[in-house]
Amino acid sequence: MTRRFAVPAAVLAVLIGAGVFAWSTRETSDEREIRSRLDTLRNEVNTSTKDGIGVALHAAQIGSYFTEDSVVELGEGAAPIKGRETLMGMVARLQPRTAAFRLDLDDVSIEMVPGDAADVLLTASFTRRNISTGEESLDAREYALVMTKADNTWRIARITAIDTLR
Amino acid sequence: MSIGSLTRRLVFGSHPRRTLVRVLVLATLSFIIFKWVLIPIRAEGISMEPTYQSGSLHLANRLAYRYRSPARGDIVAIKLAGPHVLYVKRIIGLPGEHLSIERGQVYINGAPLTEAYVKNRRGWDKPDVALTGREYFVIGDNRGMRAADHDFGRVDVSRILGKVVF
Repeated sequence: MTRRFAVPAAVLAVLIGAGVFAWSTRETSDEREIRSRLDTLRNEVNTSTKDGIGVALHAAQIGSYFTEDSVVELGEGAAPIKGRETLMGMVARLQPRTAAFRLDLDDVSIEMVPGDAADVLLTASFTRRNISTGEESLDAREYALVMTKADNTWRIARITAIDTLR
Repeated sequence: MSIGSLTRRLVFGSHPRRTLVRVLVLATLSFIIFKWVLIPIRAEGISMEPTYQSGSLHLANRLAYRYRSPARGDIVAIKLAGPHVLYVKRIIGLPGEHLSIERGQVYINGAPLTEAYVKNRRGWDKPDVALTGREYFVIGDNRGMRAADHDFGRVDVSRILGKVVF
């Protein structure tokens, strides 16, 4: 190849590479919507409030991301949390403690399944700040979620903690 | 020579086209290396102390186990839902072995394991574990912490992303 064509060829190769990358990582509108729902849920969890009405509203807001009959399985030794009402009650009670936490969601992969449902796999990281020392500690865990779509809204029907190390 | 042309020459060199090609090649190589070969890792938490301090930076080689299997004593990166949040642990048990921990001492197939990298040791206990042909037993170097606060156990070979080399 002559020098004359070296630069256009390199630019073309980069453009083709970027195009292939964009094509391979494209998402459907439902996948984008699920990702967006999880992002807003994370933001909602990270919003802290302490006054009574605020706590109740906050719990209700988080509850709206779950189906009425949702189930949360936190793993061996912990009883499953069944139903949105139970979950909201727990969120309200835990609020003063969760205010010291920060939730991050990484490596979210979504697989659409027939019947307006989706299987989601993600890593949730909880960063806890020690109020007295200011030190942060990180606890990460993998979760499998089942999400369903009703009334044009995606909600979490089931969360199951996965034991990476058994 | 004017300041403008001097600046251009300093930034782009005497052959701007060659500089552009070099930059593109370098960027592409960096992208390939740091996405598929060497993964930058920042250690969070104290479970690998004193070998790795919390906040220290490391690299995991994804190709380390392409032609050989993980070995006892290797420090490996273990993926959860994806490659962005990883566990960093040391392999102490190999596929097919029996492992137990009695008062902090690790036993492999009944024989005590010498672990020079462990500086503090609490009296952890773990009943006999039989590893399958695809499982490794991984643990952090900091055995001075409470066992309940330390993530360790069996891991499937498919979750081992690479060897921490630096």
